Amino acid sequence: MKPLMLHGHERSVTQIKYNREGDLLFSCSKDTEPNVWWSLNGERLGTFKGHTGACWCIDVKWDTSSVITGSADNTVRVWDCKTGACLHKVDVNTAVRSCGFSYSGNLIMYSTDKTMGKECTINLYDLRDAAQMKNNEPLLTMLVSGSKVTSAIWASMDETIVSGHENGDVCKWDIKTGSIVKTVREHSKNVVDLQMNEDQSMFITASKDNHAKLFDLATLDLLKSYKTERPVNSASISPIKPHVVLGGGQEAMDVTTTSTRHGKFDARLYHMVFEEEFARVKGHFGPINSLAFNPDGKSYSSGGEDGYIRVNTFDPHYFEFEFEF
Amino acid sequence: MPVADTKPSWADQVELGEESELPLPTEKIENGVKTITEWKYNDDNKKVKVIRQYKIEQRKVSKVIAKRKAWRKYGAASNDGAGPNPANTIIAEDSFMQFTGTKEEEDPTVDTKSKELKNVRVTCRTCKGDHWTTKCPYKDSIVPIELENDKKPGQEAAKQEVPPVRTGKYVPPSMRAGAERGKGESMKDSRRDEQATIRVTNLSEDTRESDVQELFRNFGTISRIYLAKDKQTQMSKGFAFITFHRREDAARAIAGVSGFGYDHLILNVEWAKPSTQ
Repeated sequence: MKPLMLHGHERSVTQIKYNREGDLLFSCSKDTEPNVWWSLNGERLGTFKGHTGACWCIDVKWDTSSVITGSADNTVRVWDCKTGACLHKVDVNTAVRSCGFSYSGNLIMYSTDKTMGKECTINLYDLRDAAQMKNNEPLLTMLVSGSKVTSAIWASMDETIVSGHENGDVCKWDIKTGSIVKTVREHSKNVVDLQMNEDQSMFITASKDNHAKLFDLATLDLLKSYKTERPVNSASISPIKPHVVLGGGQEAMDVTTTSTRHGKFDARLYHMVFEEEFARVKGHFGPINSLAFNPDGKSYSSGGEDGYIRVNTFDPHYFEFEFEF
Repeated sequence: MPVADTKPSWADQVELGEESELPLPTEKIENGVKTITEWKYNDDNKKVKVIRQYKIEQRKVSKVIAKRKAWRKYGAASNDGAGPNPANTIIAEDSFMQFTGTKEEEDPTVDTKSKELKNVRVTCRTCKGDHWTTKCPYKDSIVPIELENDKKPGQEAAKQEVPPVRTGKYVPPSMRAGAERGKGESMKDSRRDEQATIRVTNLSEDTRESDVQELFRNFGTISRIYLAKDKQTQMSKGFAFITFHRREDAARAIAGVSGFGYDHLILNVEWAKPSTQ
């Protein structure tokens, strides 16, 4: 395959996401401008200007009308995807680690850091009530006692949020009561990425403890575990095949002391059920920070510490491949 | 689908204004391939012709996507013309998905090295203790033993081993005495791959990778198939390389398929020659 290399960021890419139809790819990085790309030919649609710090997270509404980004400049911003204009800006006490639109797109969620004497919180706003954003009065603030949130996503419509924590906990929150429904401890180090599968019945975690794990969303039961020998920064589930792709590598701070070959920066494809690796794709010069499957399942993208995004379109060979068992 | 920029960028226009003897860029569309020919001066002030070919594809997309295609570019991309900006969108080198039949292969060189390190007894030069010299707790208080008895027998022996080649010429580390001859460790992998690679020639034009895989799968696990294809027509060029996991499988494949009639042609199978580097 001939991957497309998208070079719109000056610093390492932190998160990438496709929209629902998969024609647009959203990326944010440690520089201040998140980007939007046409996924088919790698053409850049635009950038969102406004943030003054590293951007940690990005999410797009189901109808691709607006985009939310969370940044280390202590703001969350909502953008118009068509024009790139900033629609809302929420001032936060600390850096924002994760953010997202709910299934309906009416609610937004973001999580804050536990730094500068501030507590880690998960906050919710209702976009339909403009006063909430204006007066900085969240619909709901859930205080996270204990280990801080390192990743969070909306789950099961607009009712629950799943969060991954620094100590390896995975928690499910009920936004009606504002409290934790269930906590599981399957990871020993921080959970850096959470991604839902196509029908939102399961989600996959990626953790620095060298594992990615598949959980049932309703019960938070551990279903499968994928083991590697380096920290996993991101994991994504194929929408059409029983495959998961894992990306990661040596910690960015150790990269200069390891060669590319030993850093193990390649993306790895695992069979979802048999938990066995069957293929790998090379490309990045540094660890992969974020991975996303195109919703059509025919390509996936990876954003790396090297600042590049690579759009990999699968060869026919991949679709003909049958896992032997 | 947005197509590539046909208008010269402002930078080119400035250049064109200054040096008008450059022919204007031309654009030709033929059999779904758009060819853009441009002229410019390179760094050595020589005229160069740049030919870029684009494949034009028509895709049917849903209405919402089609509407989004009409969006204007914004932000840092607002000055880009139609089509990808070559500064941001780079077509990467071909990369292959490596199918792994087995679990993670441990790198043997790394392992032996770390084992060797473990076996070496660490002795401090200062106090002869069981730790590195720099970590010695007495390093400030005791003068190193080396300084006291200047000539140690070990050092002399080491000095004699090094041959006195002092011509003043640079000798690469691999050619120096004591260095292991042969390729460096980073070369090993590709070498191993080539050993189990066979070349099939006289394939018909309609052959596809799946056909080749079908033909050779019975001989053993295949790690890579490369079928040479025409860039534009995607038809086979008539030869292919197949890399097996094991050399024995490759040998059996040569014996089995050589002279085999396939698609009204007689196949010719032989060992792939190592690529010249």
